[in-house]
Amino acid sequence: MKANGKDAPSPDAPFALVERGGRGLTLHALNDAARSLGLHRGQSHADACAIAPHLASAPAEVERDLETLRRLALWAERFSPAVGVDTTLPAQEGLLLDMTGAAHLFGGEADLLKDLRRRLARAAIPARAAIADTPAGAWALARFSHDPETIAPPGHLREAIAGLPMEGLRLEPEALVLLKRFGLKQIGDLYGLPRAGLARRFRGVAGLRVVERLDQALGVADEPLDPVRPAPLYRAGIVFAEPVTHVEGVSWRLPALARALSQQLERDGRGVRRLALVGFRVDGRTTAIQASLSAPAAAPDHMLRLLREKGLEHLDLGFGIDALMLCARQAEPMSARQGEMAPEMGGEPQVAQPQALAALIDRLEARLGEGSVRRPQARESWIPERSEAWVQAAPEAPSQPPAGDDRPRPILLFDPPEPVETLAELPDGAPMRFTWRRAPRRVVKSQGPERLSHEWWRSAPGLANRPSRTRDYYRVEDDQGRRYWLFREGLYGREDADHRPSWWLHGVFA
Amino acid sequence: MTPASLLHRSEALNPAVFPRGAEPLEEVGTDTPADVAAAMAFALSRLTSAPQETRPVALVTTADWLAERGRPFAGGMRDWGLGSGRLIWVRARREGEALWALEEVLKSGAAAGGLAVAAAPPFVTTRRLEFAAREGGAVGILLRAGPAGDLSAARRRWRIAARPSGLDAWDAAAPGNARLRAELLRRRDGPPGAWDLERDDETGGFRVAAGLAGHGVDEGERQGRAVA
Repeated sequence: MKANGKDAPSPDAPFALVERGGRGLTLHALNDAARSLGLHRGQSHADACAIAPHLASAPAEVERDLETLRRLALWAERFSPAVGVDTTLPAQEGLLLDMTGAAHLFGGEADLLKDLRRRLARAAIPARAAIADTPAGAWALARFSHDPETIAPPGHLREAIAGLPMEGLRLEPEALVLLKRFGLKQIGDLYGLPRAGLARRFRGVAGLRVVERLDQALGVADEPLDPVRPAPLYRAGIVFAEPVTHVEGVSWRLPALARALSQQLERDGRGVRRLALVGFRVDGRTTAIQASLSAPAAAPDHMLRLLREKGLEHLDLGFGIDALMLCARQAEPMSARQGEMAPEMGGEPQVAQPQALAALIDRLEARLGEGSVRRPQARESWIPERSEAWVQAAPEAPSQPPAGDDRPRPILLFDPPEPVETLAELPDGAPMRFTWRRAPRRVVKSQGPERLSHEWWRSAPGLANRPSRTRDYYRVEDDQGRRYWLFREGLYGREDADHRPSWWLHGVFA
Repeated sequence: MTPASLLHRSEALNPAVFPRGAEPLEEVGTDTPADVAAAMAFALSRLTSAPQETRPVALVTTADWLAERGRPFAGGMRDWGLGSGRLIWVRARREGEALWALEEVLKSGAAAGGLAVAAAPPFVTTRRLEFAAREGGAVGILLRAGPAGDLSAARRRWRIAARPSGLDAWDAAAPGNARLRAELLRRRDGPPGAWDLERDDETGGFRVAAGLAGHGVDEGERQGRAVA
């Protein structure tokens, strides 16, 4: 079931992936040729080499294998919205697809399996597949059935897996050894045994495990599937007869998809907040572009414009895609206001305005990147750079607490503040001259100080990574008529006596 | 939607009067980068010149400009008549993106106006911006650094320079109301002019500071308000 990639040697030569463990190098995964020589997983590499001197091996990359499998799971979403990566047993990972009520979309179960394996084979991924009533049953059949494509007819799973070896139950090695010692070799051997006795035979957890696994396989116990990502709420898809290799082909089919998705959304009175266009590539990968919306929308034109703005050319089509899916990853109820009143019916033109604004924000964000459109939100802080947060824009303006004071504030702020060199008459007075960006400036008018003490309950360091200190702000004007906001950080002889107070320019006034 | 300029046609007939209403597209420039704060304030007053406007105003900046000139501070822009609830900040990386964003803002009809910082907008782009502003009933401002002598479709081209502030009523040593000189280098509807403007605390905009400019003093303004 493992895809070892293209660097695997020819299938006839014995080959193994080895991993370094507490007992030295051990075999992690083997190909059929190696298995037929009597080698098995967990064997030490030295023993294996003694049995098969010409065994080729490579270090196992468990993390990367898992990542590849996860990517394959995303690709498999073309068959079912719920795809899980099964990692119950190491080196026996696989994919689980919930096909409940969906097989007919692919021409029935037999055609589905054939199609699945054909597509994987085209991407050079050898695979075995099975369909059964339970995930555990399908797991066993996919790995231990003689046929690489197995279908257990509904309601006949019990017979279908009776002849499979005990390994098909996903048991721990210790439990397997014990069962073999009792002469229980096939799953069917367990059917006739009393449950209580079976559980008691094996001390501790292992016994319960055997009963639990058997129950899962037979569907007595429920086994939920843990999908790689939540199934999209709404999705619309198209399967191409021939792989599409050009963006034009995608672009041409997109309006139909958008209309289909829009119909689903409108039926439920919902709008999409997060939109994804997923292309399923012939080489078993997926490529996707995503767009976020500032307000729920269901208009196909809006979705199309957003995706075009994002750039269909960002879809990496590779050798072509054979299916395309447009899905709503996040949807929200549309507010009643969205039913806009036409101006000729006497409605205020302003009614449509939030919608136009939402469309504008989405378009800008799609092209300039997420988070590039922002609106200010006042925060509870008197430190100027912390007193306002620029939050992601929504059609409705963020709530604004009433402005506390009307002291003048600069129109442009330097964040972080820029250092200046100053010359002052008095140590704690306003500067007479200061040099900013290497240009000296003579101060003719000044006002201050406005003292802002640091917020001692915050641990964030102040300027130059020193502890935060008190700031004295001055509004000064130079002889050219330009107005600046300077502050002195620190008090002479008191706070943090190791460092002299320093001067900074924080903003410019009109 | 009525373009803002139509509301103010009457004052455009008298070339000596400071044109309070904004044209669909105007350029605001400075001779030196140090005057950018004054230019920004002037641009905001142009963007908020239409009365009873509730639609938001978008400021489009580029990455270079932000690094050099600082970021917009909503607490300070509030003083210039642009409430925080109406302010939208769009961060573009390059100038081309900024101009595209401004065009989208203007033609969407969802914004009362937009400002983009630009060093050298191509003529064709300024034409597009002007059409977009008319289509959306919005005011577009190009905030330019350095003197601009190139072709542009903007109907008015301003040059802004900071001036020493007025006298503070309570503290003679403190900077008073902001003043600036607004030179109208080019306009479609009349000869160029220059005005000295002073911040008006009541409206959050500018009023003409009488007696300072050599010409172009608005008679009506002089009668209406006392200037300290």
